[in-house]
Amino acid sequence: MANIETIANEPAPGSAVSGIDQSAGNFRYEEKHDFDAGTGLTERTVDYISAVKKEAPWIKDFRLAALKTFLARPLPTHWATRDLENINFDKIRYYLSNGQKPKRTWDEVPDDIKRTFERLGIPEQERKFLAGVEAQFDSEAAYSNIKEAVSKQGVIFVNSTEGLREHPEIFRKWFGKVIPTGDNKFSALNSAVFSGGSFIYVPPGVKVSHPLQAYFRINAENFGQFERTLIIADEGSEVTYMEGCTAPKFSTTTLHSAVVELVALKGAKIQYITVQNWSSNVFNLVTKRGLAHEEAEIKWIDCNIGSRLTMKYPGVVLKGRKARGEVVSIALANDGQHQDTGAKMIHAADETTSNIIAKSISVGQGRSTYRGVVHIPRHLKGCRNNTECDALLINTNSRTDTYPAITVRGSANSVQHEASVSKVSDEQIFYMRQRGLTEAQAMSLSVNGFINDLTRQFPMEYSVELKRLIDLEMEGSVG
Amino acid sequence: MPAPSPTLPARAIGGFTAEAFAAHLESQAGAPAWWLERKRAAYATFAALPLPARTDERWRFSTVQGIDLGSCVPATGAAPLPAVLPVKAAASLVFVNNRLVSRSAPSAELESRGVVVTTISEALRRHEPLLKAHFMAQAQRLGSEKFASLHIAFLADGAFIHIPRGVELSEPILVTHAVSGADAAIFPHTLVVADENSRAAVVDSFVSIPGTGADSRQLAVGANDLYAGHGSRLAYAAVQDWSRETLSLQLNASIARRDARIQSLNIHLGGRQSRHESLSELQAPGAYSEMLALTVASGTQEFDQRTHQMHQAPNTKSDLLYKNALLDSSRTIFSGLIVVDPDAQKTDAYQSNRNLVLSENAEANSLPGLEIQANDVRCTHGATTTRIDPEQEFYLLSRGIPRAAAHKLLVTAFFEEVLARLEDAALHDAILGLIRTKLDGAALA
Amino acid sequence: MSSLEIKNLHVSIGAKEIIKGLTLTIGAGEVHALMGPNGTGKSTLSKAIAGHPDYTVTQGDVLLDGKSILKMEPDERARAGIFLAFQYPSEIPGVSIANFIRSAVQAKLGEGEELDASGYYKRLYEKMDLLKIDRKFTSRAVNDGFSGGEKKRCEILQMAMLAPKFALMDETDSGLDIDALRIVSEGVNQLRGPGLGILLITHYQRLLDYIVPDKVHVMWDGRIVREGDKSLALELEAKGYDWVKKEFATA
Repeated sequence: MANIETIANEPAPGSAVSGIDQSAGNFRYEEKHDFDAGTGLTERTVDYISAVKKEAPWIKDFRLAALKTFLARPLPTHWATRDLENINFDKIRYYLSNGQKPKRTWDEVPDDIKRTFERLGIPEQERKFLAGVEAQFDSEAAYSNIKEAVSKQGVIFVNSTEGLREHPEIFRKWFGKVIPTGDNKFSALNSAVFSGGSFIYVPPGVKVSHPLQAYFRINAENFGQFERTLIIADEGSEVTYMEGCTAPKFSTTTLHSAVVELVALKGAKIQYITVQNWSSNVFNLVTKRGLAHEEAEIKWIDCNIGSRLTMKYPGVVLKGRKARGEVVSIALANDGQHQDTGAKMIHAADETTSNIIAKSISVGQGRSTYRGVVHIPRHLKGCRNNTECDALLINTNSRTDTYPAITVRGSANSVQHEASVSKVSDEQIFYMRQRGLTEAQAMSLSVNGFINDLTRQFPMEYSVELKRLIDLEMEGSVG
Repeated sequence: MPAPSPTLPARAIGGFTAEAFAAHLESQAGAPAWWLERKRAAYATFAALPLPARTDERWRFSTVQGIDLGSCVPATGAAPLPAVLPVKAAASLVFVNNRLVSRSAPSAELESRGVVVTTISEALRRHEPLLKAHFMAQAQRLGSEKFASLHIAFLADGAFIHIPRGVELSEPILVTHAVSGADAAIFPHTLVVADENSRAAVVDSFVSIPGTGADSRQLAVGANDLYAGHGSRLAYAAVQDWSRETLSLQLNASIARRDARIQSLNIHLGGRQSRHESLSELQAPGAYSEMLALTVASGTQEFDQRTHQMHQAPNTKSDLLYKNALLDSSRTIFSGLIVVDPDAQKTDAYQSNRNLVLSENAEANSLPGLEIQANDVRCTHGATTTRIDPEQEFYLLSRGIPRAAAHKLLVTAFFEEVLARLEDAALHDAILGLIRTKLDGAALA
Repeated sequence: MSSLEIKNLHVSIGAKEIIKGLTLTIGAGEVHALMGPNGTGKSTLSKAIAGHPDYTVTQGDVLLDGKSILKMEPDERARAGIFLAFQYPSEIPGVSIANFIRSAVQAKLGEGEELDASGYYKRLYEKMDLLKIDRKFTSRAVNDGFSGGEKKRCEILQMAMLAPKFALMDETDSGLDIDALRIVSEGVNQLRGPGLGILLITHYQRLLDYIVPDKVHVMWDGRIVREGDKSLALELEAKGYDWVKKEFATA
């Protein structure tokens, strides 16, 4: 992408990347929806969504079966936080839109929505460095565009409704296969009411040189967003996908529950980057998993800064020989936030390798939790996992937890897990203040230093914004 | 008092029926009222609680269907004396089937300075306040409320050790708990109170007395209470070598007060399925807890170890190192948690689980956890699961050492990091001898 | 003209008084050496002037250009022109030297003033050349894994870039072999001039062979007990600190 060395040093002025600046996201426009499934979730809600989308019968059956699973499953509070009990599923609005067909040019996008995305810098980003953009406003994509050169290579980049309707021969095969409906209560919920999200297909050997980006926006109060993303990278292809998300601060809590499935066929590479900056009353409960075939590589770069509660453990099922999986995770939990994040690595073939690096920062009364699963079942050979978890605690009342679970069978594999907890030392802060930095500046610099080796892996625009955002979060953390 | 649940399956009660409990209470006639009341309450809790469920996070990865109280009943009856560890002891107690069968008292000099090495039944008569203050004083946190209750309800006797203020013992106190007979259940207990500035070492040895024919199905539900007062040093070691058909549940609890140091080392060799819970509370500044364990898992054995390092005061230190060697189709589970309370600043906590897998079919599970609520701390944990280093192996083979012997050498070397921390050389050698014996009987190459 | 005046200063750590009434004035461009045996309060003096929170000034004052700095935060003192070259500089993993110095230079600028990036790098490279520091150095994290000599050179580079009015150099020679000592001293000599006053804190005379002071102060038990020119340092070297101890322990 760019010369990374200069990135941390050069905060480019005015580079507002979509989806990261919390203050940039805190505005909203009047609501006026042509399609509204009302509040609460019953079979009628699912019927309504399916009818609006004019879906094939198999999709409706899939949704209804998922609804049953969702209703039957208890909340996972035997291991997860009881804060989940504060979600009132009956008060949530499950579908809101003004039609399903996304606009292909900015001119066609309705003015109020256009203004929203312009304020968040989407068109600017597209011009600057993206191969394609999809911008979702509540339930449906308001705008979707892919650069002509990329689509000429045979790359498909559409929303979920369109993907299942126009290209079932490609997407149906993998839809719901990486993450089965019953994987967990929230994947079942998503499977029942999903709308929007990106369906991407990259043909064999095609290397998409610039990232594809999706931008998710919740605009309506009490609205639940349930996008569904499926990316298939055919043999030997490569693609990078980035997503950002924001919502205005409502007085009531809101739910975002996505399902993201990745399929990397033989030798393919997928990199999936998330910068999550939901407002602090969003429950963000997301299931993300990739399936890596022989010699394929899936890398999740997952950065969580916003939301009230995030529960998200991106995973890779290493299905083919020599497949590689990686999760790079950054979490920042401020007052009133709980970032419950981590990774899952399921080794299912010989010589597969996985790597997890997770760094969290807890500020004020923020709480960050790492949960990890590394599973190497019997009769596999030459599998390796390396996990590093580091937590930085800023204030005396900050909290961090680490709960890894590692299972290894057989004598031909090796697994290593290391974790540490530290704080920014008083001597370090004094040293920096002696050079003229304020306490808050010194703290920001230390925190950015703590995650510097990870932010270097981000595309430049994101790493610069991330730094700026951390500066914002660190203000007021001292004293 | 929870009401007995009529819906519990028979395997959740086993031979520990209300009738069996009534018979046990009768045998305790003459004990203080609080003791009997505690037993009644415990029995009610035991009878009301279900067996551990697969969905209980505290039993994650554990083979819960193997936790079956089956047909075991409280052990009774005489048996030949068990083998005791070849360690020179300051005093010793030998229990067989929940009853004291042999003892050697501390020297007259130690007794004159107030050292007590006796049974719980005698302590009920002569040291009641101390027993009442320390017996099962810590709440169960690690998942075995049901078995702790069973232990309290059916406990017939156990070891009671009191080291008074300022007394230093140069040799360990050795306690042997033995079980004999098919379907026999025992409830070993060792309680140690080390007062201010005292120094002592206590060794528990758990053995099955070989019966006629094959290993007998047995049940051991044991517990200990270790209390290290201000500035004291208490070293505790336990060697578990039950029969290969034994279901073992052992609940350890320790308390370290200001500037006290506790070292506990648990050696796990025997049993069909063994669950070991170890709860260490660091209650006052300067307290230090060293938690060590070694496991040799072979055949289809399962060893399930759960630990809590609870930092409840500032400037406390804990250091945990659990090492497992896995052979055949064995399984191990290590689940540890460092808990740092909000005011326990300047905590220094370490937790490490190292698994050496020697067989294609062995399975090591590791759950090293942290819950940190103070920021000025140094807490690290690590878990590794590895095989024998092929380079090291090749080096030994190239010197003409056969593969099985090379593996045995490398496994004992793997354990030495822990054994080297033992102060008592005779104990070190005795433990090493038992580990070697077990490795000799296993398929190592 | 700039001046740094230390007037009857008393400093405590906790309940223990370390500096017991110390008076010293450094004029613009002057180099003063402060010598004394270990544990006599030399480092305490530098930390207290810089505003380290562990040190409490119980009496006296420190004036920069006639104004007291004791009420100022450590970073305000730094921006006002006080630079402390640490005996043991902190390591800051993940923060590059270029980024760190740049943040400090930016902090000195007023509100809304943006640093000119190309001008900054030009100046940084000039100073590095002056101090014979390799260009690759700037991308390394501050003091992270540095040798003793590298840490001290990094301190001098920061001093050069921040252009303070007064530098307090705390045991700058410690941890340096003869080659490193020469390089660091040359750097300090390059920076000498009318705009920079220096308080050179050292236990040994050897540093003063390379950085020749205008004045020498000998400290003992929290006070200055003798003052003179550079020959005093030589006398001290010849007679040793026992001489000071004997002479003043009873005083």
